[in-house]
Amino acid sequence: MALKALDIYKLLPKKNCKECGDPTCLTFAMKLAGGKADVDLCPYLDDTSKTVLGATTRPPIRLVRIGVGERSFAVGEEFVLYRHEKTFYHPPGILFKVSDAQIPDEIASVTKRVRDESFIRVGADLRFNGIAIENTSNSADTFAKSVETVEKMADLPLVLISSSADALTAALAHCGTYRPLIHAATNKNFKGMCAVAKQHGCPLVIKARHLDELGQLAKDCTAEGVQDLVMDLSPASLRDFISLSTEIRQLAITRTAPDLGYPVYFDATAGGMQDAGIVIGILKYASVIVTNPLLPSSAKAALTLRQNVYTDPQKPIQMNPGLYRVGTPGKDAPVLMTVNFSLTFFTLEGYLESTRIPCFMLIVDTEGLSVLTAVAAGKLNEILVRDSLIKFGVESEVSHRSLIIPGYAAPLSGRIEEATGWKVLVGPRDAAEIGEFLNEEWKK
Amino acid sequence: MGFNVHFDWTGSIGEVILGATKSDGGSRRVSYRIGGGTTLPFLDKNPSSPAPLIAFEICDNPVFWSPIIRNYCGELVNNLQEWAKAGDATYGADMIRLYLTSTRQRNFSDFPAVGKAVETALSATSLPLIIEGSNDPKIDSDIFQKCGEVGQGERLLLGTAEASRYRSIAAAALAYNHALIAQSPIDVNLAKQLNILLREIGIQRDHVVIDPYTGTLGYGFEYSYSAMERIRFSALKGDTDLAMPMISSAPDTLTIKEVREADLDGQDDMAVKWEFYTSLAAAVAGAEIVCVRHPKTIGMLKLAFASLKTGTGSMEVT
Repeated sequence: MALKALDIYKLLPKKNCKECGDPTCLTFAMKLAGGKADVDLCPYLDDTSKTVLGATTRPPIRLVRIGVGERSFAVGEEFVLYRHEKTFYHPPGILFKVSDAQIPDEIASVTKRVRDESFIRVGADLRFNGIAIENTSNSADTFAKSVETVEKMADLPLVLISSSADALTAALAHCGTYRPLIHAATNKNFKGMCAVAKQHGCPLVIKARHLDELGQLAKDCTAEGVQDLVMDLSPASLRDFISLSTEIRQLAITRTAPDLGYPVYFDATAGGMQDAGIVIGILKYASVIVTNPLLPSSAKAALTLRQNVYTDPQKPIQMNPGLYRVGTPGKDAPVLMTVNFSLTFFTLEGYLESTRIPCFMLIVDTEGLSVLTAVAAGKLNEILVRDSLIKFGVESEVSHRSLIIPGYAAPLSGRIEEATGWKVLVGPRDAAEIGEFLNEEWKK
Repeated sequence: MGFNVHFDWTGSIGEVILGATKSDGGSRRVSYRIGGGTTLPFLDKNPSSPAPLIAFEICDNPVFWSPIIRNYCGELVNNLQEWAKAGDATYGADMIRLYLTSTRQRNFSDFPAVGKAVETALSATSLPLIIEGSNDPKIDSDIFQKCGEVGQGERLLLGTAEASRYRSIAAAALAYNHALIAQSPIDVNLAKQLNILLREIGIQRDHVVIDPYTGTLGYGFEYSYSAMERIRFSALKGDTDLAMPMISSAPDTLTIKEVREADLDGQDDMAVKWEFYTSLAAAVAGAEIVCVRHPKTIGMLKLAFASLKTGTGSMEVT
């Protein structure tokens, strides 16, 4: 069980020495309670207190960083089973897989794609995260050459997949200082793998069939001096992955099995159902997902799903309030008012674009609330609409004085007319019907 | 070591029967008993439900349907009989969901035609059917009365009841023993409220399928995903007013920008992937019926569901 901040405070020296970087022992205690600080930062703790606190204040899932620099990513430090309980913090890295048996040109083109391709939606730049290179050739030399090909093109996080410590050593000569993730240590080869990982300071995947074997392997590897571990659950099927991964998440966050408190690795290419694998991986707690290079359709869907699931459910996503144009609206173009909840905005914008009627969207600041909630909470009211019309200079943009408001804002129509002097038309509740509405009501 | 995971569930999802076979007084070749889950989706050791089921959505006036589907299916969309048949025999869906889009015109009053459309669908396929009524509350009563009557004995799933309009559909479901879809706008409390309203006018729990409303992937899907997870969670925690199976359909999928503006030769693929990612994720959150419009999505989903239901589809790499 996690300790409360005050219980932790009792164990601290209460010197307020600031050596941990916090102004007081109490603030340090609060950070520890939230899993946001490490007990080792306090130089005055005795070993007993350290052990007690270490076990209960460490994040239940270790944070592991893969790669270095701008494109590196960190995974782990998750606290919940459901995103609605808090949020998911660290989106999984999705890496494209190549084989060292492929010709260098192919490897280079996949690398270039991951380096350059990005997809912008809701203001965020969505990208794939790196390259996984598999040693299918069984030659250390070929493996090293392929890694060199990738390294020359881009500073991307890598996964090096090989069961041979020699091949890994040869490859690490090219990328050892860039924290590639090494795949994988098993209960047969872990000593050699740990030695390689330790020498280069790399994170290491441990792979086993059963949870107790994984836990044991994690213990063995940490004893060998490798702390940054990622777990490959060797699932027999997608169903098996859901079940193992859910068990591990639950055991880790409840601190029932601290030895399983590491991020999860998932190879989505197995089983011939890669798209399904990616969906399940993203939803069910995978932190490093390896896939073959994806078609544009799957690529967009996968990045969008990841963005959706890792959006903080406590924060509404907002648009900047203002006057937006759809097409090139003229003086007689309709003006549609709605809220600055970004989903409302994008949904309405999408339907407006497909009507091919140029128009203005007046986005008012409801702090990201949807129409229904903003009306209920009084955030959307006639004063806000009046002020927004003035602030964004709508009167000088159009020659008419008609404002279309969302169907759910109908109760406000009279008050908006009084406050603004504009004529109010009540639009449909469902954005999908806006085309029909404009054609029938506006053109009249 | 040996680990044991405890979730402390006390409740289970209630069961709903969809479709009636001859022995139950209908003409369907199969009848589904969905629900019954006792833990998170795909974690039941011996799942009793055949879910997730895939429903293929069609309509009786394709003017209101996506051009992507009109192009892909060609002439089929103008022939309800053949379209429904193809959904069953060619595309391999588990259910057919008929939208009565013909009612979406001003002052619609041709109720016999609606009955005819339902009859056509019933004769074209012997799969259980979902029938979606009108968009206009003024004609709900006549439409649902007609649908209920024509489908008597077939245990249809009628859609869609909302908090502001549920009486007509409930009356038809009660009179002719059909199940119904209860839709609320992505909110666990509103879903519960509507279920209570339905219960109070006499709809049994085992006749209700919850639709928490599915926002399309990229357009609010995460809210729907969490609403579904919360409903399932509440049900397992013992809240019987939320312990019904769920249905997911993301009706905007084929009109979002990513799909609409995809390259022409990649547009079908974009539509299929968007439907697939949305539907599979909804099933993982707890939806027992997922609805799609592109025929090619069905095959992909079937493969994935087979692996998830039975654990077949080996993932052995080496």
